[in-house]
Amino acid sequence: MSESNVKRVRLLALAVLALAVSMVLVACGGGGIDEGSDNSDVTTATGGDPQGSLKISNWPLYIDGATIKDFQNDTGINTTYTEDVNDNNEFFGKVQQQLAQGDSGGRDIIVVTDWMAEKMYNLGYIQNLDKAKLPTVEKNLIPSLQSPSFDPERKYSVPWQSGMTGLVVRKDLAPDVKSINDLFDPKYKGKVTLLTEMRDTVPLVMAADGVDPKEATTQDWLDAIDKIKENVDNGQIRRFTGNDFVQDLAKGDVVAAIGWSGDAVQAQSDNENIEYVQPEQGCSIWSDNMLIPVGAPNPAAAYKFMNYVYEPENQAQITKYVNYVSPVKGVREILEKQDPAIANNNLIFPSEQFTKNCFAQVSPPGDEAAQQEVEQAFQDVVTG
Amino acid sequence: MTIRRRLIPYWLLAPGLIWLVLFFVIPMYYMGELSLKTGSLETGYQLTWAFENYTDSISEYSTQFIRAFWYAGVATFFCLLIGYPLAYAIAFKAGRWKNLMLFAVVAPFFTTYLIRTIAWKTILDDSSPVVSFLKTIHLVPQDGRVLATSAAVIAGLTYNFLPFMVLPLFTALERLDQRLLEAGKDLYASATQTFWRITLPLTMPGIIAGILLTFIPAAGDYVNATFLGGTNQAMIGNVIQSKYLVVNDYPDAAALSFTLMAIILVALLFYIKFAGSEALMGEEEETR
Repeated sequence: MSESNVKRVRLLALAVLALAVSMVLVACGGGGIDEGSDNSDVTTATGGDPQGSLKISNWPLYIDGATIKDFQNDTGINTTYTEDVNDNNEFFGKVQQQLAQGDSGGRDIIVVTDWMAEKMYNLGYIQNLDKAKLPTVEKNLIPSLQSPSFDPERKYSVPWQSGMTGLVVRKDLAPDVKSINDLFDPKYKGKVTLLTEMRDTVPLVMAADGVDPKEATTQDWLDAIDKIKENVDNGQIRRFTGNDFVQDLAKGDVVAAIGWSGDAVQAQSDNENIEYVQPEQGCSIWSDNMLIPVGAPNPAAAYKFMNYVYEPENQAQITKYVNYVSPVKGVREILEKQDPAIANNNLIFPSEQFTKNCFAQVSPPGDEAAQQEVEQAFQDVVTG
Repeated sequence: MTIRRRLIPYWLLAPGLIWLVLFFVIPMYYMGELSLKTGSLETGYQLTWAFENYTDSISEYSTQFIRAFWYAGVATFFCLLIGYPLAYAIAFKAGRWKNLMLFAVVAPFFTTYLIRTIAWKTILDDSSPVVSFLKTIHLVPQDGRVLATSAAVIAGLTYNFLPFMVLPLFTALERLDQRLLEAGKDLYASATQTFWRITLPLTMPGIIAGILLTFIPAAGDYVNATFLGGTNQAMIGNVIQSKYLVVNDYPDAAALSFTLMAIILVALLFYIKFAGSEALMGEEEETR
């Protein structure tokens, strides 16, 4: 073996060690914070004259192409809109350490789901809103979203869009799936998926067994998780998914899934056999909310933006694109003229009849430790 | 003057050392400390020397540990099985196509890891031609599937880490002194004998480097199991990811990461002992 080859191999050995170490480091991620946090000293975001720049973090495909440009033209506020929220937990992991130190990473508005909004607020990461600065929001927020259990007075949250979690099926391949329990029918073995988000999946399974999710005890949650585990172990459930349940349905690898209404509407326009089915025992209704994090550099501009998207004409433009349930009054009337198909879609403007059995998305009962125990039990099934 | 000269090596080492301390030693220290703490985000974390974080998480997730090493081991085996003939062909038989073929090995890296993995979902989906073919030759039962099984995860790992195997093998093979092969032939060794007695021993360092480069990252991977696996196919990387990001149990996540690292390091030491440190550290066979 030649001299240079020896060196090369020695170098490789070093590279291997470096790689091993870096892989493990990557797997580790960052650390935590040492001091606990609470919301005893929550500040209220102050507004002034809205100007300067605005930075928003939102989920992908959650706004149309024109709204941000229009907002900039109307207000002169230079807006950076980033789609960096892919998953409530993942986003929390990403920003937690900064927020714990009162730094929002330059963000003025972040958009997360109800339960995560509550969790962040309880940790003291979110500011209260000054209602006097939000006249349009106050005027146009639909009544059904005015006092959710996690923030009854809407002290710190403004809904961005809402949606339903229910059944999404291939009506050509699984025409008789009407209830969550039909997912556990052996004839669909290996052709069924559930969502990785515990608060989406578990309450629906409980409701199907006659447990009222709002009243459910920790034991009810654990029982439902056990039932899911049984169906994982016998091969009934193929896998747990995020938004990608839609692709599995489109290919026909999966015939029925627990999924989100808006994704179902979007997927249906590509494949008419994909259909949202309201589970017999009801669906889970949730919202994603705009929040002003601690350390937000420009709350005045954030208020301006919240008011802007609560103007029905501006909101209609967003609804036409995202196909989720809009929290703003008067949007339907506008869309009836522009696009009757959307205005009459039960998934975008659900009738009371359609959602009569539905419940607001719930978290496990108890304090953070009790919730963590349930979350761990569910994750042990997902990563079994 | 002489002092200055003596200091030069240290100055040259300084950037590397600073990098190592800043981005390796300090983070490792904090991770180690975190793994021995108890508490939650609300209450904060206190250092309580909670060694039970280690014992509990190891016993609870031994299945996923074993599965991770099993998947990584099988994938490494297949990488070697595919990679050695490939590297051999590129080094000796490719002629003027050599550079093109090497490029073809590396080319997938121009696409991101995630996209490459997700592409396998299409290749292996239940109604794809590949799966129909496997059913025709009865490798997959008629009502069976490939996606969301262990086989899919191992296939994904094999595919994604193959270049890590091929490149060191190629380097070792290309450096092989051709005259030794001729000498073998002159001494009436058959082609098979030449391979087992000359080529294979002399390329052993490349094989070992390839095995390590493949096995170590594969054991910690969670992307393939996430996208190609189904239920009960999670590897230890998936558990660490969910502990850290979903459950927010940072101490346990840190303890699991350290355990994974320790197991790999111990395995590495045994491997060096077994395979001979010459092979890893590049001492020449002849000098033994």
